[in-house]
Amino acid sequence: MNNHVRELRGEQGWSQADLAERLDVSRQTVNAIETGKYDPSLPLAFKIAALFDRSIESIFVPGEE
Amino acid sequence: MPRLNQKRYEQRLMVAMSIYIAVLLLVLPVVRTVTNIPLKGVLAVAPAVPMLYVIWLMAQRIRDSDELEQRMHLVALGVATAVVAACSLVGGFLATAQVLPIDGSILIWVFPLMMFCYGATRWWIARRYGSDMSCDGAMPTHWRLSIVAAMMTVVGIFAYLRHSAIDAGIFIGMGAGLAVSALFKLATHLRHRRMAGQDGDDK
Repeated sequence: MNNHVRELRGEQGWSQADLAERLDVSRQTVNAIETGKYDPSLPLAFKIAALFDRSIESIFVPGEE
Repeated sequence: MPRLNQKRYEQRLMVAMSIYIAVLLLVLPVVRTVTNIPLKGVLAVAPAVPMLYVIWLMAQRIRDSDELEQRMHLVALGVATAVVAACSLVGGFLATAQVLPIDGSILIWVFPLMMFCYGATRWWIARRYGSDMSCDGAMPTHWRLSIVAAMMTVVGIFAYLRHSAIDAGIFIGMGAGLAVSALFKLATHLRHRRMAGQDGDDK
């Protein structure tokens, strides 16, 4: 799965640590999500979408496995 | 109740491990000479108390982890359980067939083997997810390795003083190996810092 989390975070001017704090996860988890190494659970995806005020499908897009 | 962050977890772990080693060194020479059975029993299990606290700390740490960290813990614990179960089964059959002279004291190695497999698997999985094992605010790896190396060396020196050459060799050897690993990690850490500094200068 591909995602636009890094771009959205950049637009807000947040560091990975800032985003991690807002999502209540570790910085490593934010890094793993941004690099596409980890697909978040549905609750976390909803949390990310709510934080950036976007829909889930506009942030996470299906990609090649 | 506040979440147990990595820094606090490591501080408590270090204290517990120090108490464990101190109890081990103080109690172990005495336990064989005590004749009173209840006292002997209490002294024999005394080193297990700080280790039970360590298990409780680990449970707290896993409970307070986020979803990716919990996944890594779960996989690492699964691999550790599988390795220890396989070793126990094979060792048990070999002992039953009297191929290997294994007595009950081998059980003392179950927990360390499990923790070693758990740590190694977690490190490997964390690398797969593109991070090192240390979480935010965690003690640098070279420091962690140095502290464990120092603990191993202390135990080895005590074993040497108690004329237990095999134990002394094992622990001092492990301490030396960990010290070399700590130096290697320190060199890698300094190189990464220098490269990051150069990148910063270039921008």
